[in-house]
Amino acid sequence: MNRINQLYWRAGFGLSPDEWRQKQNWTVQKAVDELFNQAKNASPLPVPTLELDRDDKKTNREMFEQMRKDERQRVMNANTAWVERMADPKESALVERMTFFWHGHFACRSEQGKLGIQQLNILRQHGLGHFRDLVMGITQDPSMIRYLNNQQNRKEKPNENFARELMELFTLGRGNYTEMDVKEGARAFTGWSSTLAGDFVFRPLWHDYGVKTFFGKSGTFNGEDIIEHILSKPEAAYFITKKIYRHFVNDKVNEDKVKELAQQFFKSDYHIGKLMRSIFESEWFYAPENQGAKIKSPIELIAGMMRSLDFRLEQPLAHIFIQKALGQMLFNPPNVAGWPGGKTWIDNSTLTTRLSLPSFFFNSNEFTMRVKDEFEVVQAEGKMARKLAVKMNLTPLVNTIKSTTPEQIGQELAQYFLPIRPSIDLKNLMPILPNGDKPAQVAALAMRIMSLPEYQLC
Amino acid sequence: MQRRNFLKQASLASTAMMVPSFLTGTSLGKLYKNRAGKILVVVQLSGGNDGLNTIVPYRNDLYYQNRPDLGIAKTEVITVSDELGFNPGLKSLRELFDQGQMSIVNNVGYPNPDRSHFRSMDIWHTASDSTDYLNSGWIGRYLDSNCQGCQSPYQAIEVDDTLSLALKGANRRGFAMSDPGRLKRTADNPILQAISKSARNDVDENKVGYLYKTLIDSESSADYLFAQSKKNHSSAAYPQSEFGQDMRTIAELITADTDTKIYYVSLSGFDTHANQRMRQERLLGQYADAMKVFVPDLKQNGLLDEVLILTFSEFGRRVKQNASKGTDHGTANNLFLMGGKLKKPGFFNEAPDLSQLDEGDLNYTIDFRKVYATILDKWLEAPVPAILGKSFPNLGLI
Repeated sequence: MNRINQLYWRAGFGLSPDEWRQKQNWTVQKAVDELFNQAKNASPLPVPTLELDRDDKKTNREMFEQMRKDERQRVMNANTAWVERMADPKESALVERMTFFWHGHFACRSEQGKLGIQQLNILRQHGLGHFRDLVMGITQDPSMIRYLNNQQNRKEKPNENFARELMELFTLGRGNYTEMDVKEGARAFTGWSSTLAGDFVFRPLWHDYGVKTFFGKSGTFNGEDIIEHILSKPEAAYFITKKIYRHFVNDKVNEDKVKELAQQFFKSDYHIGKLMRSIFESEWFYAPENQGAKIKSPIELIAGMMRSLDFRLEQPLAHIFIQKALGQMLFNPPNVAGWPGGKTWIDNSTLTTRLSLPSFFFNSNEFTMRVKDEFEVVQAEGKMARKLAVKMNLTPLVNTIKSTTPEQIGQELAQYFLPIRPSIDLKNLMPILPNGDKPAQVAALAMRIMSLPEYQLC
Repeated sequence: MQRRNFLKQASLASTAMMVPSFLTGTSLGKLYKNRAGKILVVVQLSGGNDGLNTIVPYRNDLYYQNRPDLGIAKTEVITVSDELGFNPGLKSLRELFDQGQMSIVNNVGYPNPDRSHFRSMDIWHTASDSTDYLNSGWIGRYLDSNCQGCQSPYQAIEVDDTLSLALKGANRRGFAMSDPGRLKRTADNPILQAISKSARNDVDENKVGYLYKTLIDSESSADYLFAQSKKNHSSAAYPQSEFGQDMRTIAELITADTDTKIYYVSLSGFDTHANQRMRQERLLGQYADAMKVFVPDLKQNGLLDEVLILTFSEFGRRVKQNASKGTDHGTANNLFLMGGKLKKPGFFNEAPDLSQLDEGDLNYTIDFRKVYATILDKWLEAPVPAILGKSFPNLGLI
């Protein structure tokens, strides 16, 4: 695969046809520099205020229910706005991709629009910076505090949920701490809470100021101290590096590479940007075993298709149907461990849907699948929300194609869309092509090539 | 890089599935014979069904004290024992209960219960401890355990368009299908057919091979399941509800001797925070009306002894009603087993103790994983520790 193509699929959500035409012959160095330069100018998402309904005629319960519904709607709006951003070549591909990675790492179900976006902005702000700032930010993030019950973590009755996941899933991994560390760590985070309006607050009355013993050391530790203690362990650098390797490079881990990168990461005081640079600039990142080694996650798949075919869904809520059907809904991970990824994305239903999506979009089909869980907001929209109506702008794609015969058009498109040589002869996709004009042939062939299993990889 | 002719296996299997039934199990040998062993049907009531208003302790004053509006009056309850009775919505189950085709297990739960739907369902699906996170489900791990026939892609079918975590193993997955006709139409997409038919045998198994194999399996399974679904049209009067039709689909596949051991189906809407009475009764009615047809349909086909039906929900609800004539998320709950081979039909164990609550919630006395373990061991004849991570004592259920 073209290195630039691979880089942009891993560090972003693929290349638009215009980007492809402009950048395909760039050196890796030039492209990486550009990605990091663009990242400097990324802007945060606007944080909405929490809407508190004050209708005196309604009971508290009704107001609460109404607020919950409104906020769910706003989380969905944030969801679709973010996918559109991922697909937008004007935005920083790298920042969106890092934010998306951390969103899966610090997995959290957000039930309020304000809280969800607030959390994303923490991930955006520190996603390429120091891991310490990221952990500190997330530890004081109201959405995470609520999700992991730190609201209930009080001196008289500590709740260990946050402290446990901080070590097990966010920083160290199993086997690198004891049950005692969880207990004592939880005490240090007592009183780290959030206000009704959704801001972080430290409640001194709930905090346990006593002596704690953590990793064999004793002191009147607070939450910051615990994070310092955790990050003083090289195991944390290894744990994070391995996760980054699996997301950005290959689900099959090369232990030697990960160890080497982890040492470097530890020495750099956990500088994420430096780690990412050394991965993207390395020779081995582009080695054959790493080409097409990743199954795109549903979000990567959708954002990439939107970027290539230059479209938005006219019914943004249709995104929710697709995400649910394919098993990855933003702001709604299966649990705090996040989306397991890799082969777990694939079963008969998700694969058939993934492979059929191009024809759904090209034909503006209705999405008729049953999806699990009730979600009132979407149900209220009824059938409308299921319409995958899109207006594509295929001109940029057509303009990148120099060839004129179907065979050659197919070859060119395959180079752009596929990370590895297809396992079927493209001739098998040629029958019943519209004859005549090039745009129609490019469209028909693009749809078919995007339906190949190889397009699921990057 | 590993290159093998493994696709051949998939496509060979796909031809074999088209073979007329008189050939299966004979000349083709073990691999292609029809179902071996027993069948399990799992019914999931999603949203947290209120167990106390499902199986009502109509003699218990504490019940009525905690539920002044929501409690179901003695006169309305369908009494089945001296202390317990059915929600009126379950009246269709009365006959099954009286005929010894139903066991009710009370007080089922797990330690440190989680009151979030998602998390608690996750725990039921993965059979994990509440502090653990697993990526695979208990039925998926059953498929991983190399059970007889487990290599076939439709050994476990979920009657829905998407697959639940319960049916996802580390290496094998169950098969999602809401309706064989629809499945067939999706599979008949000419592009997908062209792709699955023209895949070369040297595809890289490590990367895209897995996708090609899944696609080819899905395409051939669609043909097979569609043909199976056409074999026996059930004349039983299944309700027109979606759930009723799902149960019809299952019955038709079972009676056609489909090579499938586990069927999984859900009925949702049980999250009754407000105005619970009518809504729960309606949903339980949908459930019971379908089971009332399903169980006799199996019996008439001489298959009731071959089938076990497990019905569960991710949690029960709080004992006290809330201010909106509903109930909030709770913990322990009852579950049902149905079939012809129940060891202890009727009530398997004691009714919930409303005087011993844990912060307003029922205490569990039976870990749900003991129920799974019993089914795996006694019904599916599968290795329990390999699937559930440890052993659990058998309950004398089946």
